[in-house]
Amino acid sequence: MKRILFAAMLMMTPSLAEAACDYQNDVPLQSLTAAFDAWKAVTATMAECGNYRAELDQEFRTKQPAAFAANPSLYQIGGVSNGTLVPLLNAGTIRPLDALVAKYGQNLAPNQLIKIDGKVMAIAMDVNAQHLMYRADILAELGIAVPTTWDEVLTAAEKIKASGKLATPLGATMKPGFDLAQEFVNMFLGFGGTFTKPDNTPSVNNEAGLKTLAMLKKITAYLDPEYLVSESTFVQKQFQQGKIAMANLWGTRAAALDDPKESQVIGKTALAAAPAAMGSKPATTLWWDGIVIAKNITDAQADAAFRLAMQGLSARTVAAAPGAAVWLIKGYVPGKYAKGSIDSANAGAPPYPSTTVMGLMSSAIGERTADFLTGKKTAEATLADIEAAYLTRAREQGLVK
Amino acid sequence: MKPRVFAMFVAPSVLMMLLFIAVPLVSVVVQSFYATVPVYEETEVESCTPGFLTQTCTRERRSVPKLDAAGQPVTTTEFIGLKAYRTLLQPEAAAAAFASGGIAALLSIDFYGALRFTLTFTLITLPLVIGLGLAIALALHEMIRKLRGPLIFASLLPFIITPVIGALSIRWLFIGDGILTAALRAITGLPISMFAQGWTIELLMLTYRVWHAAPFAFVVFYAGLQTLERDALEAAMIDGASRLQRLRSVVLPHLTPLIVFVALIHLMDSYRVFEEVVGFASQAHRISLQFLTFSFLTPDQTGNRAITRAAASSMLTMVGIVILLIPLLLRTWRQRR
Amino acid sequence: MTTKALRTPLSLRLLAAGFLAVWVIVAMFPLVWTAVMSFRAPVDALSSDPWAVLTGPATRRAGQGLTLVDLVAGLAGLALILLGRRYGARGWIAALAACAVLFWLTPMLDGALHLPPIFGLTLTHYRAVWIDHEFYRNFLNSLIITAGVVTVSLTVGTLAGYGLARTRSLVAFWILITALIFRALPHSVLVTGYVPFFLASRDLLMPLWNAPILGPLLHLFSAVPPTFYGQPWAVIIVLVSINQPFTIWMMRSFFDSIPTELDEAARVDGCTHLGAFLRVIMPVMWPGVVTTGLFAFLLAYNDYLVTALLLDAQSQTMVPAISQFLNSDTKASDQIEAIAAAVSITAPLFLLVTVFQRQIVSGLTAGAVKG
Repeated sequence: MKRILFAAMLMMTPSLAEAACDYQNDVPLQSLTAAFDAWKAVTATMAECGNYRAELDQEFRTKQPAAFAANPSLYQIGGVSNGTLVPLLNAGTIRPLDALVAKYGQNLAPNQLIKIDGKVMAIAMDVNAQHLMYRADILAELGIAVPTTWDEVLTAAEKIKASGKLATPLGATMKPGFDLAQEFVNMFLGFGGTFTKPDNTPSVNNEAGLKTLAMLKKITAYLDPEYLVSESTFVQKQFQQGKIAMANLWGTRAAALDDPKESQVIGKTALAAAPAAMGSKPATTLWWDGIVIAKNITDAQADAAFRLAMQGLSARTVAAAPGAAVWLIKGYVPGKYAKGSIDSANAGAPPYPSTTVMGLMSSAIGERTADFLTGKKTAEATLADIEAAYLTRAREQGLVK
Repeated sequence: MKPRVFAMFVAPSVLMMLLFIAVPLVSVVVQSFYATVPVYEETEVESCTPGFLTQTCTRERRSVPKLDAAGQPVTTTEFIGLKAYRTLLQPEAAAAAFASGGIAALLSIDFYGALRFTLTFTLITLPLVIGLGLAIALALHEMIRKLRGPLIFASLLPFIITPVIGALSIRWLFIGDGILTAALRAITGLPISMFAQGWTIELLMLTYRVWHAAPFAFVVFYAGLQTLERDALEAAMIDGASRLQRLRSVVLPHLTPLIVFVALIHLMDSYRVFEEVVGFASQAHRISLQFLTFSFLTPDQTGNRAITRAAASSMLTMVGIVILLIPLLLRTWRQRR
Repeated sequence: MTTKALRTPLSLRLLAAGFLAVWVIVAMFPLVWTAVMSFRAPVDALSSDPWAVLTGPATRRAGQGLTLVDLVAGLAGLALILLGRRYGARGWIAALAACAVLFWLTPMLDGALHLPPIFGLTLTHYRAVWIDHEFYRNFLNSLIITAGVVTVSLTVGTLAGYGLARTRSLVAFWILITALIFRALPHSVLVTGYVPFFLASRDLLMPLWNAPILGPLLHLFSAVPPTFYGQPWAVIIVLVSINQPFTIWMMRSFFDSIPTELDEAARVDGCTHLGAFLRVIMPVMWPGVVTTGLFAFLLAYNDYLVTALLLDAQSQTMVPAISQFLNSDTKASDQIEAIAAAVSITAPLFLLVTVFQRQIVSGLTAGAVKG
């Protein structure tokens, strides 16, 4: 009974809510985005304008292409990143935003305009990267300097383990699929590898690939034995419960480590640029998150959708959730949680490539790398498998003859 | 009943089955031999992405899909013959792996690993489900009537619960520091991690399926026991048969048609094992044939579904179930004749 | 006669009782434990110490739980209900009214007396799941799809089952055997056939919309052909069809148990086959229909594969939405929210078994014992 009342009240709240928005939106709009805090903040701001529903789903990457390809599109606004822009771009289901930017985008920094082939296809709202987070107190106690390379990380982990403080000092997002693929991709780029040759054939089964796998294997020695279920939230919880001392984790998770409701290590973690695999360039990639507008909708809907999205990408969101992301929006002053991402960017971390080829390669890597880590296959066999899986997909899609 | 009237009664049902089972089946067979492929062209693309505070613009050669006048990607459909099957079965790699590394190397190819798991799962759980169901039915038979209702209620729960949720509820008991894993560690003193290696996950999945399917077997056998005539049991007793002998010579033969029925249903259902793989998140260690097809149907990071490979995988899965069912189907056919 | 000799010895009965006790614990433990976990704060729920999970110390410390007053009120309410049962309808109403009064009185007493909670209990996760994450939308979607599947399935399946039960022709036999083979098909095989069609349905159906006579008729329903992906009614049809083999087998064996004299008598009185079916057989058949409906309900409610692949995030039913919960978690409390969602999904099933236990048992045995 209470629930029905709650639900009824909730359905009335839009009209009761304080309209902090500049205008009242009267076109029914929906969006499909990821579910992490930055998106929660943006969609909350957009909800203040009324007539809008946000769908927050971490599985959005599998649902977006089909939803946007429907006619009319099931959502008007989409939340994407470098990687998830590609399927929509390739299918031609998102529209160029140049005219809309001219009309409503006065508050946008030029840095936020994602241009493909001269046309603005997306508006970025934040940058994100996997970078080093560590327990400053533990490192200080054992006299360990902040590691700047992966070899130094492993040495530090060995010292922490030997001291008996933590049995599994490292955390890593090694869940097969996107997470494991990211670990491999970051490390591979850190070792100076290039994923494909100009004719789109794979080039992963080489020295850089072998070094990558070897390094990943060395890292697993210091991970929780069930590391194959470990994705970002798992590692975040490990930090919060004081079970690990170092991890390469997404910058957007940094604020959660100081969450008074969940964390037992408030104020004890510090951030740094991602460790380098080789040389001094951090072994990580820069990601941006942003919005796109669907093509299979009316121009009037697109207009209203973009206007609403601009409300979401405004200083109000930054003010409401300053620590949720490294915002690109005007009015953002980098706080302490932005240090890792900014340092990584300034030290030369490359952006994650937004190409179909990279998507296929990432899928293949995410599928096959676990075989090496569980000991089912040798490093060479695993790399050969990755190349074979990539080729199957690439041929299926017509990228390679 | 006259044929015309009969046709009227069964028409809607048969039509639905034809349209939504037979036609998709045929479509799957056909799809496994064709591939729909977008056409790519090489162009120089300039793309700009944000760095922090400044933009980085690059100009590079990329493969982008050709778009037609309406902005839809251009696709071509071509006949590829058995190529999808060869990609799945990898005959050369399989032969090489088998020759050099034996079974273990062969199982590292996705399809064979999934096949092995599905077959082991189906064949190992079968006697366990029948045995447990029989045991519960025989035990309940001895209980006073008043207790039987609540006992049947409790026994039905594992069967009714959503398979994914049932698997999840067992997973939450064992994963990481789950109370049962903690208890196991306390009892044995070993650092047990139930989700760190494949065989323990497989053990949990088998346990889950037996837990889930035993109630069905139990209810069927229990109903069968109710129809057992006392005279037959008394006659056996007069002949001097012991309890065990009575069980073997009177009860079990009476229940045999039911055992065959339960075996048939169980084979069909457990061959389709899928929700366990989802609930226990065992993708890295163990997958089943149906999960393999599902994974081909799930869009990858380019938004693409591998429909052709899914179709080929579906066909191979079906061949398997037909082979498994033939002995039991023949037996049922002979009985009806 | 020698009934005493047939009676089992005490030792064997004790063994049977012990075995059943173990089985009942094993059967119910995971579900009960999951339910307990869902009412605790994350720290307690995920603790590796069973006592912490049961009593919920951290939850208690946070001030959320059942006080002595709550416990006494709860027990009193239970006692009242058990007492009221004996007095029929009036007893029930009186007991429920008394419970309502207790329910209203207890929070006031708690506030007035400022008693500390004895053991921790919190509803925050359920509130988060149902209200913040709008799980009620998924619940409604599940209801729509399940109701649709049950109605269509029963309508079509009952007719077919009756037809098959009253004919001994070879065609009927082959239909049943084909249905059995169809029942064995893994659902992913069928969905592989649906997915491309569902995604491209708009382009594939366009010729029909442009056809001379059919076109204008279809235009009355919608201007453009629909995309089937993400549409609940499309999923209803898929689930009904997948369930048909099982439904017709079950209905056929129920109809088999009704003597043919009944419809023959009706036909002698001048009814057509359909008339005899509707007016004479169906009233007798009602229990069988309820049972088959139950299994259709279970299939639609518990489905994961079809709904996960063919429904969009907006039209998602409850069971695939669990994956959403498990994947959307960014905090420890999110995992417990997934557990609360799982319990929310199971609760109606629990009620179902309580009310329909006899029908479920008869349904499971129908195909076996009679067929």
